[in-house]
Amino acid sequence: MKGYLGEFEELVLLTIANLGSDAYGLALIRDINERAGRNLSMGGMHSTLTRLEEKGYITSYLGEPTNERGGRRKRYFELTSSGIASLNDMKALRDELWANAKVNLSI
Amino acid sequence: MKNQQPPSPPRFAQRIFQWWAGTADTEDLLGDLDEHFLYNLQSRGKRKAQWIYVVQVCSLLFSYALRKRKSAASYSTYYPNNSLAMLQNYFKIAIRNFQKQKLFTVINIVGLALGMSICLLALSMFVSIFRFDEFHEKKDRIFQINTQIADRNQKDLYASTLNAVGDYMEEKYPFIEQVIKIRSGFNPEIHHQGNLMSFHGYYAGPSFFQTFSFPLISGNPATALAEPFSIILTQSVAETLFRDDNPMGKTLETATGTYRVTGVMADLKQTHFYFQVLTSHQTYEMLHAGANLQSDWKTYRNNYVYVLLRPNTSPETLNDALAQVSANASAFNPNESITLESTALPQIIPSWNISNGLGVGWDLPTMIFFMVLGLLILMPAIFNYTNLSIARALKRAKEIGIRKVVGAEKNQIKAQFVVETILLTFLALIGSIFIFKLIQTEFLTMIMGADSLDTSLSLSVLAVFILFSLIIGIVAGIFPALYFSRLNPIHTIKGEIKSRSGGVSGIRKGLFVFQFFVSLVFIIGVGAIIKQYAFVLNYNHGFQSDHVLAVPFQSIDKQVVINEFRTHPDVSAVTAASNLPGLRLPITVDITPNEIDTLTVNQVFIGEDFIENMGMTLTWGESGNKQRSTQNEELVLVNEQFIRSTSVFAVQKDSLIFSLADGTRCRIVGILRDFNFEPLNELIHPLVFRYSLAESNFALLTVHSADIKKTINELDAIWTGIDQNASFEASFLDDKIEQAYYFLVVQIKIFGFLSALAIVISCLGLLGMVSYTTENRTKEIAIRKIMGASNKSLYYTLTKDFVKLILIAAVIAIPFSYFFYDMVLLRIFLTYSDGLGLTEMVLSIAFLFLVGFAAIYWQTFRVTRDNPATNLRHE
Repeated sequence: MKGYLGEFEELVLLTIANLGSDAYGLALIRDINERAGRNLSMGGMHSTLTRLEEKGYITSYLGEPTNERGGRRKRYFELTSSGIASLNDMKALRDELWANAKVNLSI
Repeated sequence: MKNQQPPSPPRFAQRIFQWWAGTADTEDLLGDLDEHFLYNLQSRGKRKAQWIYVVQVCSLLFSYALRKRKSAASYSTYYPNNSLAMLQNYFKIAIRNFQKQKLFTVINIVGLALGMSICLLALSMFVSIFRFDEFHEKKDRIFQINTQIADRNQKDLYASTLNAVGDYMEEKYPFIEQVIKIRSGFNPEIHHQGNLMSFHGYYAGPSFFQTFSFPLISGNPATALAEPFSIILTQSVAETLFRDDNPMGKTLETATGTYRVTGVMADLKQTHFYFQVLTSHQTYEMLHAGANLQSDWKTYRNNYVYVLLRPNTSPETLNDALAQVSANASAFNPNESITLESTALPQIIPSWNISNGLGVGWDLPTMIFFMVLGLLILMPAIFNYTNLSIARALKRAKEIGIRKVVGAEKNQIKAQFVVETILLTFLALIGSIFIFKLIQTEFLTMIMGADSLDTSLSLSVLAVFILFSLIIGIVAGIFPALYFSRLNPIHTIKGEIKSRSGGVSGIRKGLFVFQFFVSLVFIIGVGAIIKQYAFVLNYNHGFQSDHVLAVPFQSIDKQVVINEFRTHPDVSAVTAASNLPGLRLPITVDITPNEIDTLTVNQVFIGEDFIENMGMTLTWGESGNKQRSTQNEELVLVNEQFIRSTSVFAVQKDSLIFSLADGTRCRIVGILRDFNFEPLNELIHPLVFRYSLAESNFALLTVHSADIKKTINELDAIWTGIDQNASFEASFLDDKIEQAYYFLVVQIKIFGFLSALAIVISCLGLLGMVSYTTENRTKEIAIRKIMGASNKSLYYTLTKDFVKLILIAAVIAIPFSYFFYDMVLLRIFLTYSDGLGLTEMVLSIAFLFLVGFAAIYWQTFRVTRDNPATNLRHE
C-alpha cells in the first residue's frame, strides 16, 4: 500500500466514484454535503483534490465550455487504477477489522 | 423586476483572486465559484450569496490548490519536449559564432588547451594511482599490516610492522591462508662484464607469486622464491644483464653471494611495489643468521607483512586478531603503545599519511599539490574566456536583446552561453589531449617512479577528462552567462551597451592582474632556479674539484694502481676515498663520545694525502696521515660540526677520544673547517674521516694536462697493465657533482614549461583584450586622428590602461615571489643557497613586459595605421 489514505481523502475518492462522469469540484462539495452533512470550503476541497492528484489516485481533465458558468470549463476528476487499488486495500482492512472484532459491533 | 441583469459576484473578490492567482490556471475554480454563487443566489438571496462567495475566495486564496497551480504556472513556459531542438539551435549558434569570431575562438581554444594539458596530466596520474593494485585476482583478501606506534610525544603510522608479527600470525590464526613477508633493502651490486651494477629490490616470502598476480614470463611461481639465493629479475633488468640469452638458471655474482636466476617477470605496472629484483626471504635469514626475527617484537623498519585471508573471511576477523597481536606487541614495548591495523591491498595507494611506505609511496598531498599547480595554470585561461566573452558583449548584445524580446527567459540565455562554453572546452579538450600526449613521456621520466604508472588513454581516463572539461566549461561560462542574461533588451537594441563595455572595468581588471601575477611568479621562479643552478656549479664546496679525476677501484689492487698512477707525468697527486666529495653520502656510523650516548655521524674512508690534495683547510691539529695505532687508538679527522655536536654531551676525560659502534676507539688529531661534502641541499652533518685504503672505492687523481684525452688513454694503458679484468672508467669530479644537481635541471624544466604556459596564456588574453577594446574604440581613434592626434599620443591612450594593470601585477608579484622563493622554496631545495638575486628578478620582469608590450603594440599598430575616414564609415 503506497502512501497513507486519510479518512477525508477516502470519502472524496468514493464520492468521485459515485458521481461517475460528473465529478467536478462543486458537484463533489454538494454531494458530500448532502450525504455526510459536512460543509466544505472550496479551498479545502480543491487542496485535497490536488494532493490526491499528486499521489496519483486521480487524474483530471477539462470538460466542454458551459453557459451557466460564463463560458468557463469544468475540471472533471476520475479515479486511476492505483486509486481504486488503494480504496480496495482500505476496504479489505476495514472488513478484516470488522470480521475480527472481539466486541459485537452489530446494532 | 424584469430584464434586470442577474446580480454578479462581488467584483473586488474576483479581482483579488485573479491578481493573486496571476498566470495560474484558475478557469475551473472561477467556474465553480460562479456556479456556486448562482446556486446560492437562488436558494439564499443576494447578500448571503455574495458573502459565501467572498468566504470561498478567501479559502481558495490560502489553499494548497492555488499555491500548487501558481508554482506550476511559473515553469509553464518551459516546454520540455521542445528542449532538444533548442539545444540544437544553441549548438548551431555557437558554431556560427566561433566561425565568425576567429580570434576569440583561437585565443580561447589555445589558452584552454594549454592550461588543461597540465591538469590532464595530473588527472591521468590520479586515475592511475587510484587504480593501483586492482589487477590482483585475490586483491579483496589481501591486507597489509600497518603499525601505529605512539609514545608520549608523538603518534606515527608505519606501513611496516614488527619482525615477529608475520610468523606469529601465520601460526596462530587459521583463517589466514598465507602470510607474505617482504623486506626492503635488497640492493645487490651485480658483477656484470667487469662492471658493478647496482639494483634495488626486496626479499620476498615464497608464496609471493601465488598470492599477488604478477605475471612470470619464465619460471615457476610456486618454487621461484622457495630456495635461498634465488633471484627474480624484471624484464628490463634481464635485458640489460643478458641481452638475448635466456637468463633462467644463470648465476649472478654479488658481494653477498652468488644468486641463481629462477624467474623473469614483466616490468611493474600499476602497483605500489617498486623493485627491479626479488630474492627469497630465506636469503635474508641466511645473511643475517644472528637476527632472530621470530622473537623480535621491537624493530619494525623494512619489514612488511601481507596476509591472504581464506575465502569468505570478513575483515573484522582480521581486525579482532590484530587487536590481540597488538596487545601482545605492547607487552614487549612497555614505553610505547602499539596498535596494528590492516589496509586492503587496493587501498594502500594513495596513502594519506603513512611513514616508511613500501615503494615510491604516492601520497595524496603531493598529488593535490600537483593538481593545484595545474589549476593555477588553467585559471588564467578561464579568466581569458570570461574577460573576452564580456569584452565582446557588443557583438552579441543585439542578438541577446532580440532573443529576449521574442520571449527568451534569463535561464534560457544562461543555458545558451553555458552550452556554448562547454562546446568550446570540448574543442579545447581535443587540443589538450594532443599536448598531453606530447608532454606525457617527458614529464613522467622526470618524476621518480612514474614508470610504473599506467597513464595511457583508457576509457575511464577519457571519461574523467570529459567530466573535467564539462566542469571547466560550466565554471568558465557561468560569469558571461550571468552577465548576458542580465542585459536589458531595450538598451541592447538601442546600442547603449557599448559605452559600458568599452573600457576595462571592475572584476575584469582583477582577473587580468591575477593572470600577470601568476605569470610573473612563474617566470621569476625560472630565473631563480637557473641562478641557483649556476650558483651551485660555481660554488666553492670547501674542497678542490677542478682537475680531479675519479677512478673507481673495482677489483684492482689499490696500492699498486696508486703507485703506478703517480709515475705518470701529468698526474700531480693521487689519493683515495670511499665516497666522492660533493655527492650524497649514505654511509653513517654511530659513535659514543662519552661511553653512554650515541650520535649518528657520516663516515668517509680516505687515503693518504686526501686533505692536502683536495685543498681542505684544517682549523686545528694536523692531517695526521697514516693510520698510526698508538695505544689501540685510531687517528681520525673530524669537521667542526662534529665538535659542535659532541660538545653537548658531558665528556668526562679526553674530549678528543670517542668510540665507534663496533668498539674501535678513535682519537681526533685534526679538525677540518666545515665544508659541503654533500650537495648543497643537505645540511652539513658531523663527519669523521678515517684512513683506510682498503675501504676506499675511488682513486682521486689531480691531473694537469694539455691533452686530457691522451692522458686518460695513457692512464687506461697503465690500468690494463695491472689488471685486465677490471675496466678503467675515469670521470671528472666536476661532472659528477653536476650530475648530483640533476634535480635542479628537472626543476628548471618543469618550471620553465609551466611558466611558458602561463605566459602564453596571459599574453593571449592580453592580445584578445587589447584587440577588443581597440576595436570598440575604432571610431574614437578615427575622430582623434582627424582632430590631429599624433601616433604617439594614440599609443598612449590605447595602452595606458593595460600598462597600468601590468604594473600593478608586477608590484604585487615582486614582493610575493621574493618572499616565496627566497624565504621558502629555495631554502627547502637548497639549504646553502644564496637566495634570490635582483638581476634575475629584473630580467624576468623585463622579459614579460617585452612580450606583453609586443602584444599590445601589434594590435594598436593596426588601428592607428588605418585610414580614419574608412573607420568612421565602418560603424
